[in-house]
Amino acid sequence: MYSFQYRKAKSLAEAGEVLARDGDAKPLSGGMTLIPTLKQRLAQPTQLVDIAGLPELAGIDNKNGELTIGAATRHAVVAASKVVQDAIPALACLAAGIGDPQVRNRGTLGGSVANNDPAADYPAAVLALNAKVITTKREIAAADFFQGMFTTALEPGELIVKIAFPLPKSAAYCKFPHPASGYAMAGVFIAQTADGLRVAVTGAGASGVFRWTEAEQALAKGISAAAIEKLTLAADDINEDIHGTREYRAQLVKVMATRAAAALSGKK
Amino acid sequence: MAKITLKVNGEQRSAEVEDRTLLANFLRDELKLTGTHVGCDTSQCGACTVHVDGRAVKSCTMLAAQAEGCEVVTIEGLAKNGKLHPAQAAFTECHALQCGFCTPGMIMTTAALIKEHPQPTDEQIIHGLEGNLCRCTGYLNIVKAVKHAAELQKAK
Amino acid sequence: MDTHHSHLFEVGGAKLARLEDLRLIKGEGRYAADWALPNQAHAAFLRSDRAHAKILSVNTDAARKAKGVLAVLTGEDAVKAGYVKPLSMLTFAGKDGRKASIPERPVLAHGRVRFVGDLVALVIAETALQAQDATELIEVDYEDLPAVVSPRATLEPGAPQLHDNVPGNLCFEQEAGDAAAVEAAFAKAAHVTKLRLDVTRVAPNPMEPRACAVAFDAASGKFTVHSPVQGINMMRMQLAAYTGVADDKIEVIARDVGGGFGQRSIGYPEYVALMLGAKTLGRPVKWVSSRSEGFLSDSHGRANYIDGELALDKDGSFLGMRIDWIADLGAYLHPAGPVSPMRNPVTCLNGVYKTQALYGRWRVALTNTVPVSAYRGAARPEIAFAIERLVDEAAAQMKIDPAEIRRRNFIPADAFPYKTPTGSVYDIADFHGVLDKAMKLADVAGFPKRRAESEKRGMIRGLGFSTVIENSGAGMFPKDEIRLEVHADGSITAYSVSHSQGQGHETTFAQIIGDGLGIPAERIRLRQGIGEQGLIGNHTGGSRTIVGAGTVCSIAAKKLIETATPLAAEQLGVEPSQVAYGHGEFKSTASNRKITLGELAAKKPLVVTGEGKFGSTFPNGCHVAEIEIDPQTGVTEVVAYVTVDDCGTVINHTIVEGQMHGAVAQGWGQIFGENIVYDPETGQMLSGSFMDYTMPKAGWIKDITIAEHTTFGTISPLGVKGMGESGCTASLAALTNAMMNALRPLGVPPLDMPLTAHKVWQAITAAKKGK
Repeated sequence: MYSFQYRKAKSLAEAGEVLARDGDAKPLSGGMTLIPTLKQRLAQPTQLVDIAGLPELAGIDNKNGELTIGAATRHAVVAASKVVQDAIPALACLAAGIGDPQVRNRGTLGGSVANNDPAADYPAAVLALNAKVITTKREIAAADFFQGMFTTALEPGELIVKIAFPLPKSAAYCKFPHPASGYAMAGVFIAQTADGLRVAVTGAGASGVFRWTEAEQALAKGISAAAIEKLTLAADDINEDIHGTREYRAQLVKVMATRAAAALSGKK
Repeated sequence: MAKITLKVNGEQRSAEVEDRTLLANFLRDELKLTGTHVGCDTSQCGACTVHVDGRAVKSCTMLAAQAEGCEVVTIEGLAKNGKLHPAQAAFTECHALQCGFCTPGMIMTTAALIKEHPQPTDEQIIHGLEGNLCRCTGYLNIVKAVKHAAELQKAK
Repeated sequence: MDTHHSHLFEVGGAKLARLEDLRLIKGEGRYAADWALPNQAHAAFLRSDRAHAKILSVNTDAARKAKGVLAVLTGEDAVKAGYVKPLSMLTFAGKDGRKASIPERPVLAHGRVRFVGDLVALVIAETALQAQDATELIEVDYEDLPAVVSPRATLEPGAPQLHDNVPGNLCFEQEAGDAAAVEAAFAKAAHVTKLRLDVTRVAPNPMEPRACAVAFDAASGKFTVHSPVQGINMMRMQLAAYTGVADDKIEVIARDVGGGFGQRSIGYPEYVALMLGAKTLGRPVKWVSSRSEGFLSDSHGRANYIDGELALDKDGSFLGMRIDWIADLGAYLHPAGPVSPMRNPVTCLNGVYKTQALYGRWRVALTNTVPVSAYRGAARPEIAFAIERLVDEAAAQMKIDPAEIRRRNFIPADAFPYKTPTGSVYDIADFHGVLDKAMKLADVAGFPKRRAESEKRGMIRGLGFSTVIENSGAGMFPKDEIRLEVHADGSITAYSVSHSQGQGHETTFAQIIGDGLGIPAERIRLRQGIGEQGLIGNHTGGSRTIVGAGTVCSIAAKKLIETATPLAAEQLGVEPSQVAYGHGEFKSTASNRKITLGELAAKKPLVVTGEGKFGSTFPNGCHVAEIEIDPQTGVTEVVAYVTVDDCGTVINHTIVEGQMHGAVAQGWGQIFGENIVYDPETGQMLSGSFMDYTMPKAGWIKDITIAEHTTFGTISPLGVKGMGESGCTASLAALTNAMMNALRPLGVPPLDMPLTAHKVWQAITAAKKGK
């Protein structure tokens, strides 16, 4: 780790100011990605602005047809929340499967979404549920928020405050974790929303989370595993590395989608 | 430099450390609590697991400064009044440790796990141990030990 | 003798499965990184970030001026000190009587770096973070050279050359067996099975990262080295050879060691560089490795690349076997690294079979990769894998039942002691009995039904097994010694060189000594890694500890009684012949008088050293694996695993089972995920962290059924044979055979390990397309 200054923000406004003023400062939430990155000396921030304890970023609320979760809410809290379990059980289930227990006890929703790791779980839920990312400056639609691997619409100094998930009619998430890291090699979130059926895929896309429109069309006619089994996901925009070829990841996406669809059709 | 004050194993401790000091290093180097081990640098192995405000966390992936004002329990603070914690007793009774290096982290994870799931299923145990690596035991006796720890906890 | 404690040991109010456990579960163990020496400085290494390059210049000016920096050492300093040549144990002659070409290795690279991770400079500072910061200020000017990471490519003409004194990157070549006899056997064979049998490169990864703290006392010229060990003698010998410092000027100290698996038996160049650093600076210096650094610098394991052929007659009798073996040792030779793949496969070249014609060629190759050394089994799993894969494929090709083909070729129980074609003497075994028991426990007869049931669920099931034998190590030191010291309270301290890295010596040794003296094991405390004791003995390795040091525990206990009997007689005022010993006390048969061991020790120090020397033993066994593959994802689940082992007398069943669990898990890791991957062009490691390197995790298997099938060994009077490595030796082939049993009917050809979900899915997909 390079040397840096640690600063515990007293308010969201203060954090925003510091981050806007110092382009080399970084916000620190759960730190589950940031701290390992620093330990590998892959980043050299001047300051870390700790926002995890800010009351503005806390809270889980279900009203007006929306589940709102504060950005600093830890994965374990989302997973165990009765409110989340009742509103969007698939989201609680997703949170319960992130990383491992220790990671879930520290990692936060806002941190994960802001980081937009192509193999993180939350982006799939945010995109499939057509959630709104509410920041210190504005509201950003999920479709506009994710802009490719580790890239988002967030501007310097702009912080996620909370995320509002419109309640779906039903939803399911299935992932194939990498056997070593536990990150998704393919994660598929299917949601029946007011705007129609949406399928979001994480872990496999060469540019991060994406919607699988062919699957959406196929499932719109009726949710069943068989509807997915007929499809082939084009492997062109799929990520490839020593752990899996494009073809394999495309296959995993298909299998996870099939299983999520099966879970959904079973629920109905 | 950051001045931090926190409670470790029930005792109030203060120190001035570099801002970049990890909680694991703070415990080991400043407080000489070397029972907390560091087995990797990518937050995978869980040997460094301690409890912060009652939750299991990896102390190698947390700054000491982030623990300001928190209550930290390490393996050294788990036994109470000279009596082993059920997780500690279960690990030896089930031969769930060999070299012992991953053991403090495994035991801290187990202690948190059986608090959350007083009667854990195999699946909950396996899921609950995802953040801890062991190279010696093949995990079979560790899974048994978690189950046994829950029994001992219940009997207490 | 069978002293298994069905009860738990009681120590300090706690119920313990092992005597060493109490401190370890309380966080009171002391591992290498836990040492803090007075006034210690901290070290960090600058490592090569490229696989092969000339070092044109190293500029350390900025680093020296950095905050907290006390010293910076480079290859020049290493050369100046003469720390350039590690010990080599590859001293025997090879093909045509030629000796090995041993490359030099300055402890800090000089002139050239040869793998990513090679040591370039040592920085010592007041804090570890300062030392790490300063390594980045060192400017190294490199001229890149082409690199080679493939063990086969490195031996080809035109390959990049690593060392001037190792032409063709070939350090050593040897042959064993009878080439002409094998030629003749193949000529008359009804069937020949030919396979590529690569046992890939893995990282042993004990959970404790390496750490080393060195102090130097200028007045006496003595170094004190704290590091993880498998035995202090082995470590001291290597450090002395590297530095030219006399043996008695190096004290090695270790207490708890967090796993070893062979990787902790090496006198690494880092330790030697720290010796130089401590001496230069005049202060103790401590270094703690990170896991990432460990992937790039701790020895790797296996990396043996084998082609094998088995010749059979029309009934499936083995006529001959031929292997061609390349051992990839990496960029330099660790002291014992090349010895295991040259020795152990030859010792058990026939496996458990009466095959008469055997021939093998072995070559030691260098590549631009991390140096390789022993890893749990040390080439025993490799030769067992080669034989058992060949046998299984041959059976499948000839449509003979795989158990039946083995039975036809087993050395029969009445043939022991059996002299093998390569000169080993297997003392005793019952291969038929082992196999039959395993087949029964695994319910092999019921497998077709289970396979059909899996098929109904769309899954692919397979069952496979291996019947293997391995040689426990005879040991390189002339003998094993155990010292016993009796205290006034009747308790005993035992001292041993063989150092536990988790095997539970403190319990097993105490049981043997306690058994010999008729006192509870809890009364005996074992100390290991105490340098000043000056005992002779082998380090822990090659499954030899129970045979060597373990047996000597029993000898030492006997010697203690013999030594104390006349002393007791004197105290009791009778002749020694009138003294009877039992349960820690001597009784006069002439009167009612008695005196305890403790009372005797209170009068006069009571210390004895037992010793013994033992050759190789031959533990053996049969492992049966049953697996189920999800063809949609390629994910394999091991649904059942049975082990039947003959490791001779079992001292502690709990510990033996634990060893088996761990070793089978390591076998599982190697077959299903673990793999060190290098970029073939750049020589960069692509699997250098637990994010990319698949370690076994909880849940890889639900249960293992373990049974024993004992024939009492004749080498040790205890009848023990050793068993620390047998789980690795048997599992590689058993798991692979189960996989091929599942995949073969689909038309999948033999696959190379690791059989990752990805690879299995690809193979199934390709087979489907091919049909």
